[in-house]
Amino acid sequence: MKMDYKGQIGVQSHVEMGPLDGAMHDLDDDCLFSTEMDAQKTQPILSNQRFPFSVLPVGGYKMTRNGVYKSIKTVVFSNKLNLLMPFGPLAIMVHKMSSSNGWVFFLSLLGITPLAERLGYATEQLAFYTGPTVGGLLNATFGNATELIISIYALKSGMTRVVQLSLLGSILSNMLLVLGCAFFCGGLVHYGKEQVFSKATAVVNSGLLLMAVMGLLFPAVLHYTHTERQVGKSELALSRFSSCVMLLAYAAYLVFQLKSQDDNYVPVVEEESHNGEVEDGDEAPEISKWESIIWLAIMTAWISILSDYLVDTIEGASDAWNVPIAFISVILLPIIGNAAEHASSIMFAMKDKLDISLGVAIGSSTQISMFGIPFCVVIGWMMGREMDLNFQLFETATLFITVIVVAFFLQEGTSNYFKGLMLILCYLIVSASFFVHEDPSATGQSKQDTENMTSEGDELRGSYLET
Amino acid sequence: MDYKQQVGVQSHVEQMGSVEDRSMDDLDDECLHSPGTDARKTQASDSNRQIPFSDQQLPLSDGFPIVGNKMVRNRIYQSIKTVVFSNKLNLLMPFGPLAILVHKLTASNGWVFFLSLLGITPLAERLGYATEQLAFFTGPTVGGLLNATFGNATELIISIYALKSGMIRVVQLSLLGSILSNMLLVLGCAFFCGGLVYHRKEQVFNKATAVVNSGLLLMAVMGLLFPAVLHYTHTERRVGKSELSLSRFSSCIMLVAYAAYLFFQLRSQNDHYSPINEEGSTHGDNSDNDEDEAPEISKWESMIWLTILTAWISILSDYLVDTIQGASEAWDLSIAFISVILLPIIGNAAEHASAIMFAMKDKLDISLGVAIGSSTQISMFGIPFCVVIGWMMGREMDLNFQLFETATLFITVIVVAFFLQEGTSNYFKGLMLILCYLIVAASFFAHEDPTSTDQKKQP
Repeated sequence: MKMDYKGQIGVQSHVEMGPLDGAMHDLDDDCLFSTEMDAQKTQPILSNQRFPFSVLPVGGYKMTRNGVYKSIKTVVFSNKLNLLMPFGPLAIMVHKMSSSNGWVFFLSLLGITPLAERLGYATEQLAFYTGPTVGGLLNATFGNATELIISIYALKSGMTRVVQLSLLGSILSNMLLVLGCAFFCGGLVHYGKEQVFSKATAVVNSGLLLMAVMGLLFPAVLHYTHTERQVGKSELALSRFSSCVMLLAYAAYLVFQLKSQDDNYVPVVEEESHNGEVEDGDEAPEISKWESIIWLAIMTAWISILSDYLVDTIEGASDAWNVPIAFISVILLPIIGNAAEHASSIMFAMKDKLDISLGVAIGSSTQISMFGIPFCVVIGWMMGREMDLNFQLFETATLFITVIVVAFFLQEGTSNYFKGLMLILCYLIVSASFFVHEDPSATGQSKQDTENMTSEGDELRGSYLET
Repeated sequence: MDYKQQVGVQSHVEQMGSVEDRSMDDLDDECLHSPGTDARKTQASDSNRQIPFSDQQLPLSDGFPIVGNKMVRNRIYQSIKTVVFSNKLNLLMPFGPLAILVHKLTASNGWVFFLSLLGITPLAERLGYATEQLAFFTGPTVGGLLNATFGNATELIISIYALKSGMIRVVQLSLLGSILSNMLLVLGCAFFCGGLVYHRKEQVFNKATAVVNSGLLLMAVMGLLFPAVLHYTHTERRVGKSELSLSRFSSCIMLVAYAAYLFFQLRSQNDHYSPINEEGSTHGDNSDNDEDEAPEISKWESMIWLTILTAWISILSDYLVDTIQGASEAWDLSIAFISVILLPIIGNAAEHASAIMFAMKDKLDISLGVAIGSSTQISMFGIPFCVVIGWMMGREMDLNFQLFETATLFITVIVVAFFLQEGTSNYFKGLMLILCYLIVAASFFAHEDPTSTDQKKQP
């Protein structure tokens, strides 16, 4: 199933598609086809909104220049979310000029949001050219690339607690907030009936999430019952082993998904009229293969730069805004970072394509918990950082109860606005808990700066003396 | 449904004929209609069961009052007969005043506690009856709301008195015990007895309602879990104050969720009225309802009785709360055990009986509504409501139920949610639930509650 043709033909067939407003169904089909594979997260709709019908290329350098120009237009200017793009460079400027950590943090966060979305777009465009298998793999790996990049930078700075908290927050926000909003908005729009979704997928994902919770629970319980054989080393060894096992499980899950996709191609929605055929005309990739790869590299580079600033200034922001680092990492970071997925998930729910919404929300959670977290442990292992799966009792308990609640809600296979509302309210309770939660290890952890440790020791001694 | 008392009495007399001729089916139909809204707990059976008795005792010789004072006197007489004397359970009523007497005469806290407990039981049942009678007059929506709020009025009244006395731990424990006993004991007995009676087949119930209720219970557990875990990992930002603020915030959210649940329930009821049981033949037709489920007392009488019963329950609750510590010492049982196990079992006796009875009539949906609906009501409305009331009173009631109790609730909710999700029941499931309750009761028997031992009554 090679979809290997030049960008121009792609542009032409798009032109043939007719006026944009009349083609929502075509867009839907685009979305449907590209999100066939469950492991993917999708953001296609946003990219198709504005279409530059500029000059048809002629030849040579002019062609390259026009190609570049068109490419930039397609990728950079075709999305409303990209209005936030200037915030990236702005963040760097502010960082150079002032020392206001709070502002730099906030601006880099805003700057990352459109880049994250565009990264997803570029990944998906590339997936057109690589066939469904490798495409699925690409989406499965790069789907949460933003969170992973931020985590890797935090690992490099030695802020392992921030890594744990931001990944946990990503899982929580996807499972409760994104899913809840999707159910709620979809339920309000389709008021009369209950929306249905594929129970099988939801149950498989719930199972994987429970397995991830199991992987996280054992190191934490081992630590808190003080029953490890070698204090400090046992949990680390256990975490590393568990991470490898979880990565294996995730790989098996991908194989299982893609295999069963090939064997019996089942359309996600019954309305889709063209099942097995490759509809080149409907889902024309908008940029060529090389362009996708180049844009992928550019986006990743940009995200890395901004992540660096983000991680540098997180502590300063926490001091400036008087919010605990735990709250910022668990609640704020994921909400803003995930904004694009959030929007697309809600939109699909309102179009009664709940399976895709679920794929975005729960699929993302599964990906982070079974791939992202173990991957970071392994990367930390290679970097020599002691990242383990012991997320501390409070966070582990939170994840555990959340997974159980969500697994319970999902097992029925139907949704309505009330379920969505309950999930959102649960998320409010979770955020409130993190707001009043003082993370014991995060306060002592800066970039492995011993000075801070000493000053905290002084603080503790001082308060002890006061009492 | 707004007609005079006499017409009501007459239609009762005409329709029902003699007690012996009344078939069980008629009684069933009446039971069917009143628990129309899911959010209600029903005690319809009790009120309807008593009709033949009240017919028997109704003095038809005085029955056609003429005018004026004689009419009022007869009305009051009939009202008292209907409400007070028409229920076997009301034999326990004298125990209430007896408790007060004993309290004045002796200092035996154990006896006063026991007697006031026995005295409250019939009052609780009558309160439910009065609420339901009032619901006839207010239409299904407000009626559903009434039942949803007053359904557990007894527990709430006891809790408010305990809060006033500063016995926060007793409040937490008694509400927890109510949830546990409803979920395990009442439901288990209902499944068990129903399963024994309907030996061959498996009884079915409406899965959707059970699942929604289980979801709400899980959400309540979530609300209780976070303050407890926050406290026990010593990770609150400001020790002591953080859990309180979190508890208050979570309580408001839980109340919002409960309101949304009621709204959702009543909305989906209005949109498609589906009978709980297929036998119900007169659904949707309101005029028939008037004749089948004739309220027995008029609107004003219901309200007056409601007030009288609430006042009586308050008085007895005061004695109850005062003497709970003395009883604990006298009987050598921990306060935790009394609050969690004894108080709810006896307080809930009437609902218990009605749930079992409905199960034996193969009306499991109503049993489930009584049992699980009650648990949901207490966990999503009762507990947060007490936190908010405590907030207003200046009492520091929070959602941190201590680790042991929170863990108990957590595992119980998971077990029950798991049992309910299949949508069928048999005597074995009932037996398992009852045995689980025995384990829970034994745990509390052996459990020394660290905080309640130092908590005395604050003046």
